[in-house]
Amino acid sequence: MSLLERLKRLLGRARRGGGSEMISCEQALSAVYEYLDGELEAGPREQVEAHFDVCARCYPHLRLEESFRIALRGASGSVQSPPGLRERVMDLIARSEEG
Amino acid sequence: MIAASRSNAPSSFEEEALPHLDAVYRFALRLSGTPDQAEDLVQDTFLRAYRSWAQYTPGTRAKSWLFTICRNVFLRQRERGRRHDEIVQRHTAMGGGVVDAVNPLWRSLDGVDPEGAFFRSILDDEVLRAIDRLPEDYRTAVVLSDVEGLTYMEIAEMTGVPVGTVKSRLFRGRRQLQRVLYDYAVEAGVLPGGFGTRDEEDHVAP
Repeated sequence: MSLLERLKRLLGRARRGGGSEMISCEQALSAVYEYLDGELEAGPREQVEAHFDVCARCYPHLRLEESFRIALRGASGSVQSPPGLRERVMDLIARSEEG
Repeated sequence: MIAASRSNAPSSFEEEALPHLDAVYRFALRLSGTPDQAEDLVQDTFLRAYRSWAQYTPGTRAKSWLFTICRNVFLRQRERGRRHDEIVQRHTAMGGGVVDAVNPLWRSLDGVDPEGAFFRSILDDEVLRAIDRLPEDYRTAVVLSDVEGLTYMEIAEMTGVPVGTVKSRLFRGRRQLQRVLYDYAVEAGVLPGGFGTRDEEDHVAP
């Protein structure tokens, strides 16, 4: 998440009247995976987001988890099936239809 | 072209199932550990999926459905000849809160690389090797969530465990993986060593 995105969000929240009460570092860090995994409902998500936006101690923690996830996704996500596998699968299915 | 003889049109099998071949292969590779076994697993998965295609509900996530079949095939095969390199799972995964929300790794990286930029400098092969060393339950959850983007609910349904267990497996799997990658980065000289993160492992529960 870029600094500009954080600022935009902070401004948006301020315009809407500040939003909900600030959660603790413990609460925000406990929810970091659910937040990054997109598993939080709108209300809690905004609370967690608001905490990470303003907490200098917790923000690097969020970045660390993001870096980790990018590394995992990059490493495994780039793996492609071997050439010809699709054709072999199709052949297998066609043969099973015949048999 | 596959013969059109199933009630759920085979053309939709080609349209809905086959585009996930790469994703199923990736998953199969992480489950089985070798390209040959992964290829066999993929072939078996798609053959079974095709035979059961009438049971698939069009419009639901075909990817998740295929992963379920793939995992079931893998587990059945493993029953017949268990992998020797499986790490014995040390914990019984349970749902529940986290006692120490602060990632112990963060303490080690504080002042050195607090945002974990080193993760991105680790070679893909090393990351994959580290994933493959995770206990199977953790590996499955991490791959399905972090790489394939499945929801907690989808993973819970696939693996037949409560959502809380999925969260716990993800938490533990990710922390273990991070530690392995951190140790690798220290050994490779990417990060300075001597912070002793190993002793902190038991601070996280359950």
